[in-house]
Amino acid sequence: MFSQSGIRDLFAFWRPKKPPVPFAVQFKKFEIILERNNAILELMADMGDKLGGEYVFDGQYIVAACERLGDLVFKLISDLSVLTQRKNVDLFLAFESIQHQIEEELAGRHSFPNASLTMPLEELNRDVSEEAGNKLAHLGDVRNFLGLATPDGFVITSKAFFDFMAHNDVTRRVEEGLARLAAAGGAAAGEAAAEQGLDELSQEIRTRILEGEVPRPVAQQIAAMLDVLAARHGRGILYAVRSSAWGEDSEFSFAGQYESVLGVPSGKVLAAYKRVLAGAYSPEVWRYRLHRGYKENETAMAVGCQAMVKAEVSGALYTYAPLAREEEAMVISATWGLGAPVVDGTAETDTYFIDRSEALAVRSFEVAHKPVRLVSLPGGGTGLQDVEPDRQDAPCLSPARIQRLAQTAMTIERYYKRPQDVEWAFDAEDTLFILQARPLNMRPRLDQACADPSMSVVAATRNAEVIFSGKGTVVQHGVAVGKVFVVRTDDDLARFPNGAILVTQHTSPRYSRVMRAAQGIITDVGSATGHMSTLAREYRVPAVVNTGVATSLLNTGDEITLDTTQNTVFRGAVPELCRFELTSEESFEESAEYRLLRRLLKRIAPLNLVDPHSEQFKASACRTFHDITRWIHEKAVEELINVSERHWHRSGGTPRRLDSEQPLGLMVIDLEQGPVPARGSMSVTQDSLGSVPLAAMLDGLTQSGMWSTDPVSVDLGSFMSSFTRTFSSASAAPGNIGRNLAVVSHEYMNLHLRLGYHFNIIDAYIGERVNDNYIYFRFLGGVTDFMRRSRRARCIALILERLDFRVEVHGDLVVGRIKKLPPLRMREKMLVLGGLIGYTRQLDVCLHCDEDINRHAEEFLQRITPLLEVRND
Amino acid sequence: MTEDTRPASPAKTRILILDDEPIVCKRLKPAFQKAGYEVETFTDSASALARVEGTRFDIVITDLKMEGVDGMHFLTRVKELSPETGVVVITGFATLDTAKESFRKGAFDFVAKPFKLSDILDTVRRIEDKQRLDKGLRAG
Repeated sequence: MFSQSGIRDLFAFWRPKKPPVPFAVQFKKFEIILERNNAILELMADMGDKLGGEYVFDGQYIVAACERLGDLVFKLISDLSVLTQRKNVDLFLAFESIQHQIEEELAGRHSFPNASLTMPLEELNRDVSEEAGNKLAHLGDVRNFLGLATPDGFVITSKAFFDFMAHNDVTRRVEEGLARLAAAGGAAAGEAAAEQGLDELSQEIRTRILEGEVPRPVAQQIAAMLDVLAARHGRGILYAVRSSAWGEDSEFSFAGQYESVLGVPSGKVLAAYKRVLAGAYSPEVWRYRLHRGYKENETAMAVGCQAMVKAEVSGALYTYAPLAREEEAMVISATWGLGAPVVDGTAETDTYFIDRSEALAVRSFEVAHKPVRLVSLPGGGTGLQDVEPDRQDAPCLSPARIQRLAQTAMTIERYYKRPQDVEWAFDAEDTLFILQARPLNMRPRLDQACADPSMSVVAATRNAEVIFSGKGTVVQHGVAVGKVFVVRTDDDLARFPNGAILVTQHTSPRYSRVMRAAQGIITDVGSATGHMSTLAREYRVPAVVNTGVATSLLNTGDEITLDTTQNTVFRGAVPELCRFELTSEESFEESAEYRLLRRLLKRIAPLNLVDPHSEQFKASACRTFHDITRWIHEKAVEELINVSERHWHRSGGTPRRLDSEQPLGLMVIDLEQGPVPARGSMSVTQDSLGSVPLAAMLDGLTQSGMWSTDPVSVDLGSFMSSFTRTFSSASAAPGNIGRNLAVVSHEYMNLHLRLGYHFNIIDAYIGERVNDNYIYFRFLGGVTDFMRRSRRARCIALILERLDFRVEVHGDLVVGRIKKLPPLRMREKMLVLGGLIGYTRQLDVCLHCDEDINRHAEEFLQRITPLLEVRND
Repeated sequence: MTEDTRPASPAKTRILILDDEPIVCKRLKPAFQKAGYEVETFTDSASALARVEGTRFDIVITDLKMEGVDGMHFLTRVKELSPETGVVVITGFATLDTAKESFRKGAFDFVAKPFKLSDILDTVRRIEDKQRLDKGLRAG
């Protein structure tokens, strides 16, 4: 039986079709979409730029930028609806949801969009400090950004805390109890009575928590996490269960006031969890909070649960020794076994003073008599054990370990731009674990030493020799003191020393691999919005690009001070600059506005919809504004192809066939000429088009001589697989197979090129304004088995990477992006892509083994390079 | 290659910064201190006004749109009290009209937020150059 609409559809073809939207109108809409799309990407990049510290912005900017962005994205969706004549309900819903999250953030309400009850350490970073608490969020940075070893584990989130408190009716009792105390205090009951009242309330609340029940979903998630850890480390592992509260380790350290439970077997984790929660309501902590004006709803206790380290030696390190007589030194306290006695101050410890200068030499040390050590007991808990007689009076750190420890601590300090208090441990396998890192408040001491901290810095910089100043674009604010290391080749990159200052000719995504080791970055050319700049901001590496002079004025081994806050490079070390930064009131990265902008950008900038051929490439899967624009861009291009196809059947000639040397079968729509071509001209030459990107691509194809017209011999296996392969991955729009289309203007090209069974997309804009320029290149598909196709993908990726594209590979899909280069260099990149399209046309057939990947990449680069050099002359 | 334009005289140039958003003061203060200036910051215009009534500043950087006394009024008062003080207006709501009005009231420059730290430092250096020149002319 037919539904009513079904019947309507059945007879639809009898009725004359609704007159289509005029072609000209649709083209106009397409152009508007491209324009708006670029405006959105630019605004997003602009907002990202602001995180680097070079700009001064205020809260009002954040609100205005978000408003403008929301408005642009909304209009973009409306544009698409007009172009495709669809309502795009899913897209509007996705938009509404993102917009709502942004509004909540702006209103100061932290939305937990992915409110998990537990989160593994590998997912933690500073941006989830609301969920994970400060301590574990920092530890997440240390592990995930800085790449240092931390004990494996997870966090039981603040969300779980709130659930626990509600489930056991504690929240209400806390509020009522405090209200009662406040009322009693008002009746002038005296301070002693109020103190006693708080003690009693504390007792009541802690008992309630300790006797409470962990809500089932929380308990289940904890059990699941423990299973994962047991699978990784063995059944018998013991845990350290530690507080990770809001505000802990920040401006008020709460140092040592919260509860930690060590050596917990998995069966007792829930009990330990409750003990740590109860610790948030001890009379001491509660008073500390009340005295500092914390509101009760600002109390949230996330709890870390981490594998115990089998510590051979542990301790604490301050990157600035808190003693006036030890200028510019760090101090290490160390003892055998677990570190708790060092932190409590209950054990005798070895003390080492280390010079903060680059050599990190040991200045002096004292070895203590250490007869006992704290260890985990096999069944759980901790206990004291005698130290072997010959080790009792021996130093517990070797010079090599001291070096590693000092270097590691400096890495952490550089990242946080604050002196650090680091808890650490070495195990018997010589792994250095970071157990905790928190800012060390050292301002008072320095203030005593010098009434006006800016005096010494001004004097020091006046006397220092300026190598260059005011050149290029500052990407990330900060100060770096260290030795220059000039990177020209991949080999240089592999030898990059820890703590050096990276100096290069241009920016490239390849340098991401030394981002953790680099203390600063200076380049000759490059843009503030390139991929490397984004990384420099993410890793907080002081960076200045496009100086024009870096590699000519700086040589490997030169000691310099890079101060990007004044955009100046000084000869030699100017430690006063470093100190000025480390002791300033607050690093800008930690201010509320920067944190807000960072949180907002998480809802805006990440791109999750990468592969248009994946199941997940759909409107309802858009989680950020970037996703929405990406999806719309794809759909708009698709729609334009459909429209132009319909039209050239009807009007007989809107796109014209390009006369080219190679049989590309390329139809071209020239946006400059408008939709109606000159009568009778069914074909067009490259010259008459005058499209910069298309011309460069075709030049590359022709000049490189890489369009091999000889059929490559195909062995039988590959050939058969091409028969049995379905079109699933290679056919986004099956109607378009074998038809190639370029939509061009003078600066723009959108190319869909299917050659044989593989599919290239290039979307590019090359104009005089460097900031508008970009190339997006996508390559997919092939004729042979998956193994060979993915080899080809890797080969292409390798080539693109060497040419400084930002590359993503997913199976046999390669996406390369590059942007914001001057037109000459953009044309070069396009020329290379032309060559690459020719070269790789049948490449998968030649890639028999993994070694072929490198060989072919090298061969291609060798053949293409002369073309580029000729063009550079 | 070396462009050393940092102030070299022992008497520091005094700057007052007024913006009701603390983040702006927090960013500008250390940047100017480091460049050798003496800096005072205010987030409410009443206290800033009280301060300029009693003390002369070489340079004033002020926001326009604020609660209470607004930036335009503050600018006017500063110029009345001390015509040679260089005033830089910074605002997130830059329009041609407000810019014109600021210049008419004697502002040295008008800078739209967000701005680069290096740009505002340059602006301040230009004011210093002009002030030095004016002083020289008066003396000569």
